[in-house]
Amino acid sequence: MVRRSTALWLVLATCAGITLFLVKHEVQEREDRLNALHTEILANQEAIQVLKAEWSYLNRPERLERLVRELSEERPADRLQRATLDMLPQPLNGDGETPVTEAAHAGGVVLPMARPVSLGARQ
Amino acid sequence: MTHTRIDMDDIPKPEKTVRIEGSGKQALEQGRTRLLIAGSVFALAFSVIAARVVDVSVFDRGAEPNLAQESGSLTHKTGRADIVDRNGMLLATTLSVPSLYADPKFIMDPASAAEKIRTVLPDLDQTELLSKLASDKRFVWLKRNLTPRQQYDVNKLGVPGLYFQRESKRIYPQGRLTAHIVGRAGFDDVGLSGIERSHDTLLRDGSEPLRLSVDLRVQHILREELQTQIDAFDGIGAAGIVLDTDTSEIVAMVSLPDFDPNRRDKISDNAIFNRASLGVYEMGSTFKIFNTAMALDYGTTSLSGGYDASKPIRIARFTISDYHAKNRWLSVPEIFMYSSNVGSVKMAMDVGGERQRAFMEKLGFMKASAIELPERGHPMAPNPWRPINTMTISFGHGIAVSPVHLANGVAAMVNGGIHRPATLLRRESDELLVGERIIKEKTSHAVRRLLRLVVENGTGRNAAAEGYLVGGKTGTAEKPGQGGAYRRKALLSSFVGVFPVNQPRYVVLAMVDEPKGNKSSFGYATGGWVAAPAVKRIVERAAPLLNVAPVDEDAPEIRRALMVKIPQAKGKKALASF
Repeated sequence: MVRRSTALWLVLATCAGITLFLVKHEVQEREDRLNALHTEILANQEAIQVLKAEWSYLNRPERLERLVRELSEERPADRLQRATLDMLPQPLNGDGETPVTEAAHAGGVVLPMARPVSLGARQ
Repeated sequence: MTHTRIDMDDIPKPEKTVRIEGSGKQALEQGRTRLLIAGSVFALAFSVIAARVVDVSVFDRGAEPNLAQESGSLTHKTGRADIVDRNGMLLATTLSVPSLYADPKFIMDPASAAEKIRTVLPDLDQTELLSKLASDKRFVWLKRNLTPRQQYDVNKLGVPGLYFQRESKRIYPQGRLTAHIVGRAGFDDVGLSGIERSHDTLLRDGSEPLRLSVDLRVQHILREELQTQIDAFDGIGAAGIVLDTDTSEIVAMVSLPDFDPNRRDKISDNAIFNRASLGVYEMGSTFKIFNTAMALDYGTTSLSGGYDASKPIRIARFTISDYHAKNRWLSVPEIFMYSSNVGSVKMAMDVGGERQRAFMEKLGFMKASAIELPERGHPMAPNPWRPINTMTISFGHGIAVSPVHLANGVAAMVNGGIHRPATLLRRESDELLVGERIIKEKTSHAVRRLLRLVVENGTGRNAAAEGYLVGGKTGTAEKPGQGGAYRRKALLSSFVGVFPVNQPRYVVLAMVDEPKGNKSSFGYATGGWVAAPAVKRIVERAAPLLNVAPVDEDAPEIRRALMVKIPQAKGKKALASF
């Protein structure tokens, strides 16, 4: 009787020991991985910082302006070419309300909702 | 013989157990008691531990986190926080950059090593490099602050004895563009000027970027247009400000000449001087905005009033006369429109020196501006405030303020009359500062109409950016030379504009120092010819970026809102509808 309980305890203790070892090992492994990841994250953050600085450097307004001049047609956008959303013809919704009736008024042509700014109003 | 007879029953039988009597028994009893006590103490301790184990493992505690927490933050600390513009574009950042050094002891063949190094770092001097690599020292710097690519290239050479040391370096990707605002940090990352200095501790402690109110794009436009004017009129410097009228945020601020903060050497005092916030100047006629607003607000005159400006005013040894002299009775709008000094003086005299002084004080013209820079000029105001000062201040002489003061003051005149201190830090749009009321809403409205009048029909016609309803006032001040006498040829030509003037959003100030007239300006070097065209171009280019849509300037409701009745001398009234 005594022998059986002793054996049981012995087996339990061994099991606990092995589990403990395995868990500890696992934890250590994960800690190493965590540290490695942290180092990597920091390195990446540092790289991002460099890239941000470079991005800002490349986005100097003076450089962008020069590139636009070189790479696109030499024609700055006229401020009168700007329009707001309400100047655009409204999209036709499924039920076809206002835009359609207005279009019908204009002989089937969808018209802008507002007149553009005084284009040549002075001429 | 009974007494000899021994009753055997009386004699106890010998027992098997040993009984110890006397001191032996006492010791045994004591030992047993001690064992019992010790045992129970241990039992108690174990049960406490057991209870604690159950408590810790079974019962949940709110105070304890469910997950293990990482000690130490994971954010990349550079030692100094970034500075960004209002759109988040980097203006200043700290990078850890590699610097190349060599341990000559491990350099096997200095000549070939030097040759190899020069293939990737061609700017190093051959002989100097060779002597460094061949020296007996254990440490020689070869090149500080390499780019990542250069570091990669050096590593690729595979020369033994070369090492890198990581150093942190403050980088200003935008270079000159925001030099005076951001300022610069010296060695050891100590802020030397600008925001870098005024927010040194904050930048050092924080890791969150510091967001400024500056818009890089507008800043660029402002700088470029001012540079254009300097080049065209051979000026010695310029300053410009774009300021939000409602929040008093500075959207752009330029002082020329400027410097590259990335280069730690070779910065001249002239370049480092911030003309926009540190320099104080007698602003000239732009002060008539304040003068007129003051007179209208105190009610000493009205838009239908006027003054005789037919003769120059003589006081002491001075003569005050008009630049664009009309030599007749001028109404208040005309005095403003033609920038009449004589009329302005009379207007100010009606208000009186005491009240004028109080007005200037309310505008903040008696103390340094609130802007977050160490470079803040203290205004120069007369003390005591004599009648002659009242006269000259009416047209902007005898009091010197910084351009920031001027722009900030004009914002208060047109935004409905509320003065909010200028700032370089981003304000959240919903937390509008309360501010201090300086003039009535009605006066502010009148000022707006007068400003429009100047651009539509007065001295500021060159600032008319079509569609953006620019209003403004020119200013041409003679700079005082050595000994206090004014120099006729050394001018400070400025224009302060507001757009759109019916609902002001931004104040634009452009100022050119000592411009010289040229053919395109018919020899003039006045504010209307030098600074006004710059403001026009700045508005045209910056307005789309600032989300100000062009309007039809001839729309009836706009014309009605900005109409000014110009009273005539003989009671006739004419409508100023040009």
